[in-house]
Amino acid sequence: MKLQRATFLAGATAAALLLSACGGGTGANSGPAADVPGADGKGEVKGDIAAAWWGGTSRIELTNKVIDMFIAENPGVTVDRQSADFAKYFDKLNVQAASKDLPCVVQLQGRQINDYTKRNVLLPLDPMVESGAIDIADIPKAVVDAGRGTDGKLYFLPYGAAYDAVGVNTTLAEQAGVGTLSEGYDWPEFISYLSKAQEKMPDGVNASNNGGGRPNYFIGWTQANGKKLFNDEGKLGFEKSDLTEYWKMWEDLRQKGVTVTPQQSSEEPTAPDQSYLAHGQVMSDTLPGNAFTPASKTLSGAAPGQALTTLPYPSGPSGSGNALYPSGFAVSANCQNIPTAAAFINYFTNDLEAGKTFASDNGAATNTKVLDAQIADPSMSATKKHELETYKKIVSEDPPTIVFPAGYQSVFENSFKRAYEEVAFGRMSVDQAADKFFDEANAKLGQ
Amino acid sequence: MTTTTPTRPAARTIYPTKKVTNPVLTAVIRHALIICFLVIMLYPVIWMVAASFKPENEIFNGLGLFASRFTLENYASGWSAGSLNFSRYFMNSFLVTVLSIAGNLVACSITAYAFARLEFPFKKFLFALLLGTMLLPSQVTMVPQYILFNQLEWINTYLPLVVPHWFGVDAFFIFLMVQFIRTLPRELDESARIDGCGHFRIFSRIILPLAMPAIGTTAMFTFINTWNDFLGPLLYLNRTELWTVPLGLSAFLDATSESAFGPLFAMSVLSLAPIVGFFIVSQRLLLEGVATTGLK
Repeated sequence: MKLQRATFLAGATAAALLLSACGGGTGANSGPAADVPGADGKGEVKGDIAAAWWGGTSRIELTNKVIDMFIAENPGVTVDRQSADFAKYFDKLNVQAASKDLPCVVQLQGRQINDYTKRNVLLPLDPMVESGAIDIADIPKAVVDAGRGTDGKLYFLPYGAAYDAVGVNTTLAEQAGVGTLSEGYDWPEFISYLSKAQEKMPDGVNASNNGGGRPNYFIGWTQANGKKLFNDEGKLGFEKSDLTEYWKMWEDLRQKGVTVTPQQSSEEPTAPDQSYLAHGQVMSDTLPGNAFTPASKTLSGAAPGQALTTLPYPSGPSGSGNALYPSGFAVSANCQNIPTAAAFINYFTNDLEAGKTFASDNGAATNTKVLDAQIADPSMSATKKHELETYKKIVSEDPPTIVFPAGYQSVFENSFKRAYEEVAFGRMSVDQAADKFFDEANAKLGQ
Repeated sequence: MTTTTPTRPAARTIYPTKKVTNPVLTAVIRHALIICFLVIMLYPVIWMVAASFKPENEIFNGLGLFASRFTLENYASGWSAGSLNFSRYFMNSFLVTVLSIAGNLVACSITAYAFARLEFPFKKFLFALLLGTMLLPSQVTMVPQYILFNQLEWINTYLPLVVPHWFGVDAFFIFLMVQFIRTLPRELDESARIDGCGHFRIFSRIILPLAMPAIGTTAMFTFINTWNDFLGPLLYLNRTELWTVPLGLSAFLDATSESAFGPLFAMSVLSLAPIVGFFIVSQRLLLEGVATTGLK
């Protein structure tokens, strides 16, 4: 897992260099023009398109089923299917983007979208929405907005929304006599809850994993406390003192033994279904909402009899700390068959049968009708239902929408983790590490 | 294993001065140490083999080799994962590998013969150029190559993976063979020439049979490289029915959802089998090649 991330980074950096090299030739403002025929997605739905997404065997199968249904409804359409695991997917995508040979329909998230919009390799979807080729009426506005680039245009249509939740091992919590967190709990409550639980943890079990190096926890904390993550130039929008406050909070817990040691943190597998939480070695950790089902499955083998639940992130003076991380399909600028691409995206996101088949495999269905149909479906597993209901709750509380600048995934996430590790291993003070992080992030973000 | 004699000078002081006299005992100790090292080095592989027989949710429960029960279901579910099964991926991998090995052997040996035995203008410069290509990181040529193959409409075929090998792009193997052929005595060529052989006959009757160790080494390394290649198939093969084994293995992993580690380990074990088999068959040739070509 470590190695994968390293190779992904290397690949991403190499491709970013190549991309920027190519960008120079085309000129910054010669982006895809709106007067390309069919740019509004209107036209005959037939011919070839290529579609690319990330995922393993089961998602490949589900996506293939949906594509087959789409083809059955639109005779004369063929779809070239491309898929790979998350990190490898972007290795491939970057080579294709640099070669101006992106598949017509590419799956992306807000965390990377601006790496691509910056290089003008994607088409804005707004004309297709205006012409009615793509329907966004049943998707909450906060979710649609997560598909926008730094220029405010819609670049991908979110079909599945992931969120991060606090995963809690309810069995361990009950044994420690701390019960469950009350609805609408905030960060100070959460911290004291963890500290209290630690007193009665079994040997070798910690009340919490260390959240100091987790960008998503930090994003939740900034949103709950009304801080801005990025400013309009795509640089860091919060103050150094915010970051030191956040890190000091975790350092305090770590020194009291509430969290795992930095050695343990660095050895933890990155896949959420193999994390310490999934093995019953910590009582709580941040967990992607869609990892709840696989993590519960692992826990049932690792520590039989224990159970997990997920809660929304702690709130704060500014409300909910839950940011959404939707995935969706974008249309590439080199696409020759825009009407079919638009029809495919619309079908995948909004069709009731398609949604039923895909079963929210990559985050909760964003289309509210599709979502409600899935929650009402008796064949849905209890853990999956819990995931979808938690999403529904989060989205009803008007979650913040974050526009991630170009370079977020390759720069911010890695620098953040590295800088906090320096603190946890005692090689830097919190202030030094914050300086280091600000220098690294601001030097490369937004480029 | 020498039988020690009391007359031996006891000059070395960093070693124990009194020699262990029992040859059986020294042999036992020595072999025990070697076996310990062997187990330590092989443990990750042994662990993987053991993990492939564990129930899926017990795989990461520690470094032990045994789980609550022994199961073969990882092999069954892994082999038939997805819409296709692994027999297809193995067939594809074999096809690509065999064609690549054949290409490399033909192209590299002919090129090496030319550089080692023929005289032609700019020979030194061309050889330097060839060695220079070894310094190019593959990432540098990745995008131009992709554009080229895309323009040729070779995406979704095996051509981008196989055809380059037929044009001698693996400078390292050419270099290896050149060095090897240079050590062969020229008198053999000359006697063949007196018997009326041209270049083709000298190459096929004299040089090739003598260069078997170098050819074996090339075949072995090409096999390993091609069999394990991931990025090439990832870039050029989209349709699952064209996938090679590494792509099939990677589909078991899903960082954003659930990974199927049991089937992954089971199929990884199977994908190692051809490499181990090939190594055992060509071991003698390979070791000879490593020794005589001065590789590593």
